[in-house]
Amino acid sequence: MNANLNNNDFGKRLKSMLKVDFRRMFTTPTVWIMFGVSLALPILILVMTSFVGGQDPETGEAVATFTNVWQAIGSAGGAMSMDLTSMCNINLLYFLAAIFVCVFVGEDFRSGYVKNLFTVRSKKVDYVFSKTVVLFVAAAGMFVVYFIGAMIGGGIAGLSFDVAAGMLLFTMIPMMTPLNSGAFNVILCVAGGPLFAFGLGAVSNVILNKTSLV
Amino acid sequence: MNAIEIRNLTKTFGEKRAVDGLNMTVPQGAIYGFIGENGSGKSTTEKLICGLIQPSGGEIKLWGKDHKDQNVRSQIGVLIEAPGCFPNYTVWNNMKLQAANLGLKNENEEIRRVLHLVRMDGAASNKFKNCSLGMKQRIGIAFALLGNPALLVLDEPINGLDADGMRIMREILTDLSRRGTTVLISSHILGELEKIATHYGIIRGGKMLCEMTAEELNADCPTYVALKADDVNARIVLERAFERVEYDQEHGELRVYGNNRAEEIADFLYKQHGIAVTEIRTAKINLEEYYIDLMREGR
Repeated sequence: MNANLNNNDFGKRLKSMLKVDFRRMFTTPTVWIMFGVSLALPILILVMTSFVGGQDPETGEAVATFTNVWQAIGSAGGAMSMDLTSMCNINLLYFLAAIFVCVFVGEDFRSGYVKNLFTVRSKKVDYVFSKTVVLFVAAAGMFVVYFIGAMIGGGIAGLSFDVAAGMLLFTMIPMMTPLNSGAFNVILCVAGGPLFAFGLGAVSNVILNKTSLV
Repeated sequence: MNAIEIRNLTKTFGEKRAVDGLNMTVPQGAIYGFIGENGSGKSTTEKLICGLIQPSGGEIKLWGKDHKDQNVRSQIGVLIEAPGCFPNYTVWNNMKLQAANLGLKNENEEIRRVLHLVRMDGAASNKFKNCSLGMKQRIGIAFALLGNPALLVLDEPINGLDADGMRIMREILTDLSRRGTTVLISSHILGELEKIATHYGIIRGGKMLCEMTAEELNADCPTYVALKADDVNARIVLERAFERVEYDQEHGELRVYGNNRAEEIADFLYKQHGIAVTEIRTAKINLEEYYIDLMREGR
């Protein structure tokens, strides 16, 4: 049998790799656990903080941590801020997404599955690109689930829902990146996904190609 | 055309040279038995061929093209060490992932075909972690066979297989070779390898000691006369009369090399020294013995 050397261009390889990764993503328990945490988190935060509030430093009166559902999502600025209201909000999705991608990629290497990928036709750049896309999709899924969780939690806690949803999205999207809100930042954020993927892909092609993986 | 051509291949890990200027040629359609001691560089060479690790020097050509070429790589089926499967997935789901990775169009049909080939049809719904070692090896072979590759690289594929599993493996590989698939197989079970290999390469210290066809090996394997005698002096007598005499502890027999005339030796012992021979036969050394001799000579 002579080798039938078909054309395996980047598009074909990436399509296959994405198919593998999305199949894995929806069959691995990790992603469902992350979605579960993303759903439970805002419910727990909103319900619990509606019972346990803080104190107004000036008047000494009891003040609820959140008075509005959307505060739980976009309550504070950058992810580096370490107080309760800034951490127990959508910033937690940074950590969940990071954990998810670590476990997801780690499983490939731990099980030796990565051998199957690289010994056939996949390039390392395909792998990095595909994993980046999966991370973004998973993070977007967690974001949506968190959003739903926040509404459920707000409903249970009896918090106000007063705010325009469009404005909310406008403030939330920049929060998912280490940028502050602003039209330019939102545009950067939207463009950031592909730029990040291409950047990582290029770096991996240059560096990882000279590295032994397994 | 040769399926694999390796020239001056080198791989170093720190100070250690795992592969040291290796040259190797695997003809298209051959079952190439790749033999060597533990740590001789077999697995490293196979990993280099598959692109799992990068060479420090030299070149690897598959069908005359660079081994990194994605179009070439898509024609390789690999089982290196253990099959890379997710333990909590079923065998079927693991295979579905690999079928998707290969970009196969008729995934289900192809998975059924390869599972049937390795007689694992019934295990498709088993979780991979619940499979026995032998089953896992067979699944690994099925993985490698997905997409009908033109080159199979198998590292110790018969480890852990029972007698039936080994027979099945022999049948599969012989059949594939008949259809033109090239198989590069490394194994320490030389008796099994001898039954199927058409070519051999013996590696030592990262260097190729020799490459030969099965016919060349057969011609190169010396014949000997094996005998059993009641008298303990038989060995001393034979050692004085013949250049190479060895005692085979496993079979409890003396081996006289360089003389194939069994009757002559029996007469010599009985008529000249009064030593009766209880058993005598002529035989040829097998691959295992040839390999051990070669290794001893090298020391």
